[in-house]
Amino acid sequence: MSDRIYLLPLWIRLWHWTNALLIITLAVTGISLHFADPKLPLVEFALAARIHDIAGLALVALYVLFVIANIVTGNWWQYVPKPPGVLERCVKQGRWYMVGIFKGEPHPYRVSEEANFNAMQAIAYWVIMYVVMPVMLITGLLFLYPEFAPDRFFGFDGLLPVAILHYLTGAVIIMFMIAHIYLGTTGKTATSMFKTMFTGWYEQH
Amino acid sequence: MFRSWRKTTAAVAAFVACVWSFQAHAGDAVAADPEVVEKNRKANEACFACHSEFGFKNPPRTDMDMKKLAETLYDPKVFAGSNHGTMDCRQCHGQGYNDYPHSETGKSETSPCSECHATKVARLEPQYDASVHARLESVKAKFTCATCHDPHIDLGATLLKDPLKIAVQDNKACLECHDSDEVFAKYAADDDKTPGIKKKRPNIDTIHEWLPNTKRHWQTVRCVECHTPEVKANRPLSHEILDKEKAEKNCLSCHSANSSLKTRLYRHLVKDEQDRLGFTNSIILSSSYVIGATRHPLLDKIVIGLVALTLGGVLLHGAIRIVFAIRRKGKKQ
Repeated sequence: MSDRIYLLPLWIRLWHWTNALLIITLAVTGISLHFADPKLPLVEFALAARIHDIAGLALVALYVLFVIANIVTGNWWQYVPKPPGVLERCVKQGRWYMVGIFKGEPHPYRVSEEANFNAMQAIAYWVIMYVVMPVMLITGLLFLYPEFAPDRFFGFDGLLPVAILHYLTGAVIIMFMIAHIYLGTTGKTATSMFKTMFTGWYEQH
Repeated sequence: MFRSWRKTTAAVAAFVACVWSFQAHAGDAVAADPEVVEKNRKANEACFACHSEFGFKNPPRTDMDMKKLAETLYDPKVFAGSNHGTMDCRQCHGQGYNDYPHSETGKSETSPCSECHATKVARLEPQYDASVHARLESVKAKFTCATCHDPHIDLGATLLKDPLKIAVQDNKACLECHDSDEVFAKYAADDDKTPGIKKKRPNIDTIHEWLPNTKRHWQTVRCVECHTPEVKANRPLSHEILDKEKAEKNCLSCHSANSSLKTRLYRHLVKDEQDRLGFTNSIILSSSYVIGATRHPLLDKIVIGLVALTLGGVLLHGAIRIVFAIRRKGKKQ
């Protein structure tokens, strides 16, 4: 009998894949808009702008649902790194990513229904979902409704700080996405954690 | 005798102001003679006594045609700030307007713009003749420079400076007809499909539905940025107004590092471009953040570098994992 636990309820999996789809759409169209150049034909500009606006509003709605669902189900607690020894556990986890994983050592912390994430994951996910995402979404909304943006900023259009924050947080989320997809291959097998995200069942090491 | 002297003085004063105006527009730093300007403004007070909101509400005479007057009201302050604000009204409106009732031939005696702006008119006329407004003789006949450029209000880009103000001023000229069925009908030709019935005004919002953030565009750029052909750098904007078939639809024309806004709305400011704080097209950024055009190349390099490092890092990590896994497998065997 395999050692597996039912880790992820349907709503989390639905949220995760919808979120993933929207983030990828926004990343591709966002790059098309920011780096707009005749020599870089990604998505045609007007189409990219339309898709980016619609997908952006959908992501705002999805994020609101995510926050509500986290509060209602108590899932928010998973994102809180629990003391004591948070730093030590992060160091241990970091050492495993840098050394232990190559030697075939087992994961330092066992995944359970009570603790889906290791301390490092919890901190990273918390920062991404509760700091970076809100900044990206709020600045995105300000782009859509510039009448609420500052009028001027150090002699420039007041949209400049909004644009820079949106650009930088978008870039952080793209970098997170790259690392996140890669770390998804560090399960029992290279594909087991991807299967978990579809079925909800987690294969223990 | 007195009237004749007054006419001559007004004409001379107006001519001086006109010459000054021409020099100032040509970039010459010749200041208006304050005495002449003051004299013209005093003379214009007689016109604004009727041709202003105040004059209309408090008509100095009882025998005036109020309906006609209602169509020719101007704000003295706005006029004073306009391109022609230092001139005497009679420089253009002729002697037929010295007295009331104005001369029957007064309107036809109004000076054409080419009287002062001959060179400009000669240069722009062929462009205008190729324009959508000159396609049909019946429509062309109704157009003068003043149809789009109100000489009592408009201020040239170099004097107005602020691109957002220029956009408001110039778009008003287009929208006055293209956003009003009543005014559009005054100029419209017969519909191709239904002769005898005038062409209906297409809804301005509907025909621009393809343009993202339409309202934002209308607040920050002019209709003519897209509805005139591309011109070479340092050349003034063409007066060939393009219809929707020929108008610019390539967003990258403005939304790229080599933005055509530099040769259009921001042409008069480009000489001051200094890539302030490292931003490309910082002169545009001073008024509007234009995605794709107002970038920071160094910041872009740092961001691209960090994303590349992340991607390279995970690929390298994955490759090392594979190598170690193969070695472990080999050892087990």
